[in-house]
Amino acid sequence: MAFWIERVAAVAALSCLSGQAALAGDAGAGKAVFTSSCSICHSVQPGQNKIGPTLFGVVGRKTGSVAGYSYSPGNQAANLTWDEPTLDKYLESPRAMVPGTKMTYAGVKDATKRADLIAYLATVK
Amino acid sequence: MHPRIFLAALTLGGAAWITPGGAAAQPAPDHLIPQSLQIEHKETLEQITALAKHKGPVGVAAGKVLVLYKKHAAREDEFIFPPLTLLPYLADGKVTPDMAWALPMTDRVKAEQEQIFIEHTEITEALNGLVVAATKAHDNDAKEFAESAAADSLNDLEILVPAVLMVGDTLHSKLPAAH
Repeated sequence: MAFWIERVAAVAALSCLSGQAALAGDAGAGKAVFTSSCSICHSVQPGQNKIGPTLFGVVGRKTGSVAGYSYSPGNQAANLTWDEPTLDKYLESPRAMVPGTKMTYAGVKDATKRADLIAYLATVK
Repeated sequence: MHPRIFLAALTLGGAAWITPGGAAAQPAPDHLIPQSLQIEHKETLEQITALAKHKGPVGVAAGKVLVLYKKHAAREDEFIFPPLTLLPYLADGKVTPDMAWALPMTDRVKAEQEQIFIEHTEITEALNGLVVAATKAHDNDAKEFAESAAADSLNDLEILVPAVLMVGDTLHSKLPAAH
């Protein structure tokens, strides 16, 4: 129960932070989101590109910067840094934020799941 | 009249026919897709159909892929991929008025690009579900199939759909204005 109160409070607080991603995610829950939604296309191993680029070290890196991965023109031109707020916005609706991205993913509409996923990705480094 | 000739005549006339079992069959399309893609469609459909017959979560997950794939592949057969049969001619520098049949298709692909992308998104999501189910069931064949199918899906978006659009652009620019 306490966990959920903390979770709800955290999400409520984060929803008040205009332009900021939900930073208080649960990395363990995020790993499950990654497995169920991302793992067919992305590895979290360094240097292992699959259908999408490796997500090892994704938090903090520049868009279109993984060696050996052939990016879409949209991602190459995005010129963004994958910090938590940027990832949050992108993961909510990838094509809305980066038109032309070839990532065939509709996005994580649930803010808590996004926060969890980003928390997990932040551990993969 | 030989039955096959009779059926061909019906096809050319654009009519459906009734199979011996009584079910109405669709006429063959006016324009086929490249043979390599026909084979890919056939094999993919066979594999998903077989997986969908598995008991348990793998079968359920494969069933979801099957529904989405059949719908999308039908659209690929109908108007997305037929213009690609013109690629060898265009690569040879040949553009002739009888290629104008492809323009309504390439124009439709251009107009429906976003919908085509959404369909691939849905298929990839369903394939991810199949990977998860297959991993839990230690079904490596199903997992490998799903990963391979997802790569094929990206191949469509990275190469085939842009190629269709380029076919359309080439025809628009080189065919007489009457077309």
